Amino acid sequence: MSLKEDIFELISQTLDVDKNELKEDISLYDSIGVDSTEMVELRVVIKKKLGVELEQGEVTNKHTPNQIAEMVESKK
Amino acid sequence: MKQRIAITGIGVVSPAGLKKETFWANLKAGRSFVDEITRFDAKLYPSRIAGQVHELDHYTHLSGRLIKKIDVFSHMALVASDQALSDAKIDLDNIDKNRTGVFMGNALGGWLFAETELRDLYMEGREGVSPYMASAWFPAAPQGQVTIYYGLKGYSKTVVADKASSSLAIWYGARVLNDKKNDFVIAGGMEAPVTPYALLCANTCGNLSKSNTDPRTAYRPFDSGRDGFVIAEGSGMVMLEREVQARQRGVDIHGFIKGIGFSSDGVDRKDYAQDTSALEYAINECLKDCQWSKEDVDYICLDGEATQIGDILEVKALKNVFNSKLGNIALSAPKSMFGNLLGAQSALDLIATLLSMKHGLVLPTINYQTKDPQCDIDCTPNQAVSREINKALIIARGRGGINVVLGVEKE
Repeated sequence: MSLKEDIFELISQTLDVDKNELKEDISLYDSIGVDSTEMVELRVVIKKKLGVELEQGEVTNKHTPNQIAEMVESKK
Repeated sequence: MKQRIAITGIGVVSPAGLKKETFWANLKAGRSFVDEITRFDAKLYPSRIAGQVHELDHYTHLSGRLIKKIDVFSHMALVASDQALSDAKIDLDNIDKNRTGVFMGNALGGWLFAETELRDLYMEGREGVSPYMASAWFPAAPQGQVTIYYGLKGYSKTVVADKASSSLAIWYGARVLNDKKNDFVIAGGMEAPVTPYALLCANTCGNLSKSNTDPRTAYRPFDSGRDGFVIAEGSGMVMLEREVQARQRGVDIHGFIKGIGFSSDGVDRKDYAQDTSALEYAINECLKDCQWSKEDVDYICLDGEATQIGDILEVKALKNVFNSKLGNIALSAPKSMFGNLLGAQSALDLIATLLSMKHGLVLPTINYQTKDPQCDIDCTPNQAVSREINKALIIARGRGGINVVLGVEKE
């Protein structure tokens, strides 16, 4: 799986949402209404599963899955 | 209060049913819903029985995504609130959400969620703790969850006052409506004490029944063999609004919140004062607030703690206030059928009383076998009795004597 696919899988599993509801270029807030605590959980899971630490504020629910994948890629 | 505050919606999540119709049918039949605790191994606890809610998942309207973020006490509050909104025929798209608030009572917080996360904190360190812990465990969490779920932005509060929490919350909500600060209020309480730590705390307090071998007869208020109350989990919510508005909307009115009296014994952090003047003061203040005479009261929903001393003191206070008139008032403790929901109990007592008013039936105090000369009242033993109820008092006593008496009137 590509990193982008990993991120999609991880978001859908962590937040218990259908992968089809996620859109590459639509923010997590606009596509599936991700709230601030869910973003904390996503950061924790990204750190655990992918070994990349994203700071609070660096990644928010206004980011798209593509943007998150790019941030993770750049820190790997 | 200048305004009459109407109750236009009812929501119930209780060991005796998860809809008001089921709740009423079960209580009317005088059945017990107290059972052995099955959620975890409780065999080492002195009291290991409770009124438990078993079918929440069957009745829920929440997504798995939300359920995993909240404690079960918020889950129960959300289900009960949804019922209350629907019973009151509230169209959420056509109300002013800035003027709709939530007033809830709770005593313990959400320990089922908290215990698991604290275990992870000590086992795995900081990163083992769910980010949802911060917003899941505290007593006001259900208030937040309900307001977020429905987008309600009006003035809201959570009251923590042990077993009197939800009476105070309901009153607080009614007062805010009276002051015209809100147009709608969801009021009530929720409690989830059937967890290893919460049960331990409740046991440490020492007022629980240890009649574990026969759970269904364990909670027996006013019976000479009583040995304490039984805890229970659940939630009760009512929809409140000003009478004028309810009439304009043309919805059914279940009853009215009329008045309140409160006091504190103020002598011990756990035990009641032996002198019953504080409880008597609360009853008298409620009568005054309702503008009722002692003869006006048809029914009193009793606290019925079922400790030896608790029941004696409650009876003594009632006799001192009502004297010979007490014999004309129907008395009972319907909670003997499902347990005491602590911070949510008065909301359930209010709902049971409203349904009793509607059906003209006094619910019984079950498990009453042997008379105690020091509790020689007619507590409507074991079987419901037909009687018109127009005006009722609901007594709630928290630890150390937090006394709250709520006055309710029939439509």
